[in-house]
Amino acid sequence: MIASDFVRDVKAGKIKLEKFYSDFFNDLRKLDKSYDCFINICEEDAFKQLENLPKGKLYGLPVSVKDAICTKGIPTTGGSKMLESYKPTFDATVIKRIKASGGVIVGKTCMDEFGLGGFSTNCAFKIPKNPNDVNRVTGGSSGGAGVVTRALDSPHIGIAESTGGSITCPAAFCGVYGLTPTYGRVSRYGLLDYASSLDKIGVMAKSVSDISLMISVIAGLDSNDLTSRPEPVPDYSKSVSVKGMTIGVPKEYFGEGVSKDVSDSVWRSIKKLESQGVSVKEVSLKMTKHSLPAYYLVAMSEVSTNLAKLCGMRYGLELPLNKDDGFNEYFSRVRALGFGPEAKRRIILGTYARMSGYRSQYYLQAMKVRTLIINDFKRALKGVDALVAPSMPVVAPRFDEVSKLTPLENYKMDVLTVAPNLAGVPHLSVPCGEVRGLPVGLQLIGDYLEEKKLLDLGGAL
Amino acid sequence: MVVDVYAETGMIIGLETHVQLNTKSKMFCSCPNSGDDVPNTRTCEVCIGAPGSKPLLNKAVIDKAMSVAIALNCTVNKRMTFDRKSYFYPDMGKNYQITQFDTPLGSDGYLLVNGKKVRITRIHMEEDPAKLVHVGGSIVSSDYVDVDYNRSGTPLIEIVTEPDLRSPEEAREYLRELVSILEHLGVFDSGDFTLKSDCNISIKGGERVEVKNVSGLKNVELALRYELIRQRNLVKRGQIISRETRQFNPDGNTTHLLRTKESEMDYGYIVDPDLPWLVLNDGDVKRVSVSLPELPAGRVKRFIKDYKMNEEQAKTIVGDKALADFFESCVKGYKKPDYVASWIDTQLLKCLNFNKQSIRKSKVTPESFMELINLMDSGVITERLGKELIKEFVSTGVSPKAIVAKQGLGLKTDSELAKVIKQVLKDNPIEVNDKSINYLIGQVVRATKGQADPNKVRELIKKSI
Repeated sequence: MIASDFVRDVKAGKIKLEKFYSDFFNDLRKLDKSYDCFINICEEDAFKQLENLPKGKLYGLPVSVKDAICTKGIPTTGGSKMLESYKPTFDATVIKRIKASGGVIVGKTCMDEFGLGGFSTNCAFKIPKNPNDVNRVTGGSSGGAGVVTRALDSPHIGIAESTGGSITCPAAFCGVYGLTPTYGRVSRYGLLDYASSLDKIGVMAKSVSDISLMISVIAGLDSNDLTSRPEPVPDYSKSVSVKGMTIGVPKEYFGEGVSKDVSDSVWRSIKKLESQGVSVKEVSLKMTKHSLPAYYLVAMSEVSTNLAKLCGMRYGLELPLNKDDGFNEYFSRVRALGFGPEAKRRIILGTYARMSGYRSQYYLQAMKVRTLIINDFKRALKGVDALVAPSMPVVAPRFDEVSKLTPLENYKMDVLTVAPNLAGVPHLSVPCGEVRGLPVGLQLIGDYLEEKKLLDLGGAL
Repeated sequence: MVVDVYAETGMIIGLETHVQLNTKSKMFCSCPNSGDDVPNTRTCEVCIGAPGSKPLLNKAVIDKAMSVAIALNCTVNKRMTFDRKSYFYPDMGKNYQITQFDTPLGSDGYLLVNGKKVRITRIHMEEDPAKLVHVGGSIVSSDYVDVDYNRSGTPLIEIVTEPDLRSPEEAREYLRELVSILEHLGVFDSGDFTLKSDCNISIKGGERVEVKNVSGLKNVELALRYELIRQRNLVKRGQIISRETRQFNPDGNTTHLLRTKESEMDYGYIVDPDLPWLVLNDGDVKRVSVSLPELPAGRVKRFIKDYKMNEEQAKTIVGDKALADFFESCVKGYKKPDYVASWIDTQLLKCLNFNKQSIRKSKVTPESFMELINLMDSGVITERLGKELIKEFVSTGVSPKAIVAKQGLGLKTDSELAKVIKQVLKDNPIEVNDKSINYLIGQVVRATKGQADPNKVRELIKKSI
């Protein structure tokens, strides 16, 4: 059942929310037991919400939220030991908007610590398992959102977040839709920052219709986030025929490292669009090979400053003070104990990249490359409605395969997702068949604020 | 000559001055920017740096900072970012300070100090961190430290000079001019907000030494004087003045080592990605330029012309905006402004200094001060008595009329004077002539403790013989 039908039935009194939610939370706990997808299930808070629920677009609909997004009074850990006991004093803007539309926050989903990872294996509390095969990873960093969206039978929409591919990756690996909106389309206020110039809150769902519904609620200018965009939010709900549209196929996205099974699946979908009257043309994104280093330099530089506040002074673990501790010693002890290895790696690399003497070689150079990548996309998107490419180069790997990867091999998994994230253009991951029972995803990449076109194309597949 | 001594040492000084701007709200949130209240009550998720919060931007900060840049003859830059300056310290919620690094708001300006151009390298905006309160001692001896986030997010501008200053006195003079400009612009109140300088000083044969965070004006002069002596002694002994950062200790007017060059921090500046590019246009600059109020240099000229002051007087009075405003309130509708100016310049300032007060904090109002002037004008008291009376008036704030009434300080009546004259003539059995009469008048005035008008006394003595 799609979300809008569920909301209609609830409003019509055909579904009683009290009854629905007592069953729902039983299912949710079972789900969590099987796949380790929640850091917190918010049953009590959900029932409290039911007492006075606005009759809006999301009336009564269960919504899960990646644990990087602040929920007032409900722990928001970012998947880190550092914030295990952090209870924000405020709701993120997206949470405010969801609650005002009658959406019910049911739980906080599992993620890589502060979004730092591509498999959700860097979570401090538990590691979510892929519902298609529990020996395989969910993808990350929004892994929990992918699992819940895939495995929950009841209507539900997941709120996720992407910095370099954290929506696309789990959407593809789990087999659901995932929209990463234009940078600034959805307010970041209340998001635990990874890399502020890259972070985008988005949506994971089982249908294009669900994605359209949720994005229409959370998108739009927010005076509390100066990077949010002022353009009016269009009506995403009415789908338009794709006949006469043109899609571009960037050749660099089908090259080395992309498994043949995956690219074959994607090509089958391209043919399907072609059969509906969509023209296809080859385009080139020449800067693709520079996108990984540029992404990691920008993201690591920013995250190393964003995580600095976690030192045990106001935020972060609280440890007993040793007799001779200066603040430096204490902060170091807290940070050594509180952060996981990947967070430490990125903080150290990011700090190095912005040190005087290296700053212009690494940080500033990466910023320049980022501008070139933006121009690359603007060029490629001229004359086409969207680009089509595989979401991930492979299907979900097994845990034992992932554990053997070097950090560099690990980062290379993001090769197809980091460029659209660096450019800040919207992209939608769409399930496009299976390889040996495992889902494959393709991504539709559009021009700034052209989410609607992506949803129309995605709906046609 | 003092100045020659400085020239011999090859002393050069540059200042980086941090000024708290008097905006209504803080720089990146809507918390009130000032108020004498309970610690950690003027705070929100933004200014305590709560995970998930993001900065807003108070436009008033940009306008105020821009007015300073224009007043100090800077080029106003049109496209710039806010940047993150990263270092770990307990007073910073985020462990980075939002500042401007690559491109400041203003650059390449100057300030005239006694006719000499002191070049301004740059003016940029940044936020103040929280305040550390050292409980039970100083930074080194306290039992523990409290953190008050009320100050966190207060807007600052940092004004950086080229090393154009040549003596501690000149550095203080520069700051005095600067403060007067800031106060005339209405961006800074020396009563409620603070001004701190990092003082860079080097002398011939030594490296540059920085004395951090020196509050106010006088301490800058004292810190620099101490450094000059310390560094000259090092040179004399053949020792090395190394590149280092020091701290001023106001208790002994000395400085002590904070860190050496080797342990200098690397701030790892990056663009603050939470704040969009700040883009100004010619219209913005023009809007602020045309609304600039009268600045001290113009006011000095006007005071000389309109109030017949001499230049030194005008500079002294305009040097403190509150005093200049006080003066103008006093002379509104009064015919002898130069007379009031000289009373302010000499008697009033002397008394304020004696009480360690500024006109802003004192109990003297234009109305009560003019009462004093009027008492003298109308012959109720003499100038000599006025000079006595002002001391009590400034220190207590009791109105001059009330003091006169209470202490019976008005001029003696004719019959009272006649008694005194009789006594004086009895004590001084001399012939009264044109020469000796002046001596006798003096004796009478003294005997009445100044409560006698000499002309009146002359008249009465002549009558009595």
